[in-house]
Amino acid sequence: MLVRRSLVVAVAAAATVAAAAASLALGAVDVPLADVIDALTGSAGEGPFKQIVLELRLPRMVEAAAVGAALGIAGALLQGALANPLASPDVIGVTGGAGFGAVLILLVFPGSIALLPAGALAFGLLAAAFVFAIAWTGPNAGGVGRLILAGIAVGALFGAGTTAILTAYPDRVQSALFFIAGGLSSDGWRELEVVWPYFAGGFLVAACLMRPLDRLALGDDVAASLGARPRLIRLVAGIGAALLAAAAAAIAGLLGFLGLVVPHVVRLAGGTSSHTFVIPVSALVGSALLMAGDTLARTVKAPIELPVGPFMVALGVPLFLLLLRRAV
Amino acid sequence: MRRARRASMGGGAFAVVGVAVALLAPVAEAAPKRIVALAPFTANTLAGIGVKPVGVGQMLGGQKRLSPKLDGVRALPLSHPNGPNMEQLARLSPQLVLSSPTWRKGAATMRALDIRVVESDPERVASVAPEIRRIGRLVGRAKQAKRLARKVTAGVEKARKRIEKRPKVLVLLGVGRTPFAFLSSSWGGDLITKAGGRLLTAGLDAKSGFARISDEQVLAEAPDVILAVPHANEEDIPGIVDYMRDNPVWKSTPAGENDRIYISADDSLLQAGTDVGRVIRSIRSRYLKN
Amino acid sequence: MRTAALEARGVEVAIGGKEILRGADLTLEAGQLVAVVGPNGAGKSTLVRTVAGIQRKSGGAIRWMGKDVRELRGRRLARIRAFVPQSARVPEGVTVSEAVGIGRSVHIGPLQRPTRRDRDAIDAAIERAGVTQFTERKLTTLSGGELQRVQIAVALAQEAPVLMADEPTSHLDLGATVSVARLLRGLADEGLAVLLVAHDLALAAAVADTVVVMSEGRSVAAAPPGRALTRERLAEVWGVEASLQASRGGRTALHVGWLDQRVRQP
Repeated sequence: MLVRRSLVVAVAAAATVAAAAASLALGAVDVPLADVIDALTGSAGEGPFKQIVLELRLPRMVEAAAVGAALGIAGALLQGALANPLASPDVIGVTGGAGFGAVLILLVFPGSIALLPAGALAFGLLAAAFVFAIAWTGPNAGGVGRLILAGIAVGALFGAGTTAILTAYPDRVQSALFFIAGGLSSDGWRELEVVWPYFAGGFLVAACLMRPLDRLALGDDVAASLGARPRLIRLVAGIGAALLAAAAAAIAGLLGFLGLVVPHVVRLAGGTSSHTFVIPVSALVGSALLMAGDTLARTVKAPIELPVGPFMVALGVPLFLLLLRRAV
Repeated sequence: MRRARRASMGGGAFAVVGVAVALLAPVAEAAPKRIVALAPFTANTLAGIGVKPVGVGQMLGGQKRLSPKLDGVRALPLSHPNGPNMEQLARLSPQLVLSSPTWRKGAATMRALDIRVVESDPERVASVAPEIRRIGRLVGRAKQAKRLARKVTAGVEKARKRIEKRPKVLVLLGVGRTPFAFLSSSWGGDLITKAGGRLLTAGLDAKSGFARISDEQVLAEAPDVILAVPHANEEDIPGIVDYMRDNPVWKSTPAGENDRIYISADDSLLQAGTDVGRVIRSIRSRYLKN
Repeated sequence: MRTAALEARGVEVAIGGKEILRGADLTLEAGQLVAVVGPNGAGKSTLVRTVAGIQRKSGGAIRWMGKDVRELRGRRLARIRAFVPQSARVPEGVTVSEAVGIGRSVHIGPLQRPTRRDRDAIDAAIERAGVTQFTERKLTTLSGGELQRVQIAVALAQEAPVLMADEPTSHLDLGATVSVARLLRGLADEGLAVLLVAHDLALAAAVADTVVVMSEGRSVAAAPPGRALTRERLAEVWGVEASLQASRGGRTALHVGWLDQRVRQP
């Protein structure tokens, strides 16, 4: 049992390192490996290769790793807190809100394009706040069913808002398309500088919730009798997931697949639902998957950059189906 | 009357731009040697003043509009939202990129890579000459640019001589369920106006230069000519023409009844070039018949 | 006189504006097994959950080891009493040893790893509950009776002097019921204070030292089985014509006049 888990961790870590290396070494321009290493170790001379590696590929790799980890963890937090295998960041309304915020800036205020990550983040968190406010008040407050219904309603609301904007400015839809399909772009460190505190906050929350989430496994009554507070745990998990998903959407658009499937892949591979295993390994698998998908999206039809969503589905779904077939 | 006003407006714009450039251009900077031009207008302007850029933008599926002087120059495919691939751009180590507002998102990244970015993509015929002169100053070829600007202006004036008729024109972008009408504030709309057409949308204004108009308005305004600019290749044109001729609304307009529904397959109505005179003449002979 | 493990007096609880408990008393002492019985809706589960500290009370006094229940929060209370709910969730992907580990977590600090002592306690709990052969099995693969014993193991891992079980045998077959009954009685004999909510009156009479009878939100009797479950009381509280017979060797039987028309139904 322990052997199997250690093996999965080792494979996930190796995959992450390999994907990171590929991210740096591959791209639209053929940069010789020696130059890549020189640039990273600081011994390269000034020139386009150094610029490409350090100012285009390196920040993009870090973004992909952060976003992949964030979405994987957000999915694991929600699936654990809501005890529902279909839970994902979309459920708490974050993706709908972030999409609306981004499209608002892209289409209605294109001059303020620098505010794109801030707008997506703000509306993503706003949507999550609505969902939590509805879910934690009224009859059966804090219950799972109420949360999911609130998430669906708020998500639909912002989705409708997004569609309305798209139809009002159809000639600008092109710019929004890339965001909606989900993808990273080589923007340097700018966007990361805006959102890194939200990533950090979310990662911290997840680290603190690993054991408490395990205690929810046998139900709220057992958890309460052990001194845990199930509703508080669920709320904090929701907040953590919202922070991570909103920050991820702010820089990578609407990537819906990772948050749902990665925790399942991890659980099937490791044969356990223990959160001290699932949360960190979901981070590794999520970042490996997104870095690999992004590298493919950048190189398959270079110099055109394709949206990354389809590539992750292409990578993740076969893996998921394979594990599902062999599931115990 | 309108020409004089346009000219003085152009002159005023030129003055403002001139002062701004003079104030903002770094002091005592040598003319940039490695230049990338993303739009056909800027690329052809450079070619026309004897400057060979290190890279030119190429819209996917776009027509070839580049001057033969630019053969052999590296072509950078452009795609939303950033424009050119940043790695490929960085590889060319450009000192100056002549971009257009469409690729504003990529401009910030280019600046982060220490590349100077200047937006230049005229939306009006009257802005063409001042823009040519501005580009000339940016690259240290002011004299040649003045000459080119004069040549282009003369070509435009010649193309506009003896306009006999001023038919009412509806110009549409795209085909299918939501075509957009060109407004006078768009490049294509301004071209049509300069060629002697009266835009159906003459009174309308919108930020983006395009607007959806209702079929009722089309019937009421009764255009003499309908011109569509679809996103299509040469081979697709006949099929689209048939489709458009069958449009029940357009059939009952004067344009439909006189079989004056046309398709324009090239991009010259969508984005500025330096061959403005030629384009105006072509519009007059093919579509407006004036 | 030793302080009772649990001392509850006049407990009142209202849920959603409705009065569920109107004054119930309960006492638990080490080495004793107390069974709480009563018809549906009498408030048995509510009483147990309230004294366990999971349900808030609106009146009355509850003291654990002499301390008011409101002073004992979370983990401190969890080290005094362990609670086995009526229907705990059966999660996917969790093994028996992981589940029992969850029970043990009250002794493990937030940043600590399980110690040797903790692992021994987990093993001991699994063994005492008789589920050693299932240690690495997933919970979803166990039968009802096996699952119930695992839940008791989870509670035992807390190493608390009090064990409370809310209707642990209601859904079990006869064999499983007997095995759980033996386990609980054995635990009481070893010194635990055990509280058991039961539907089955014969079972309650067989294993309990004291039977507490609940009726309409009040505790109407607290006495050894023979005195608590008299014919009169059975008629008054349950509205049936029945009598309890206890014979040598702990065998009990409930004789019920199933078709008897003499007693008015409540």
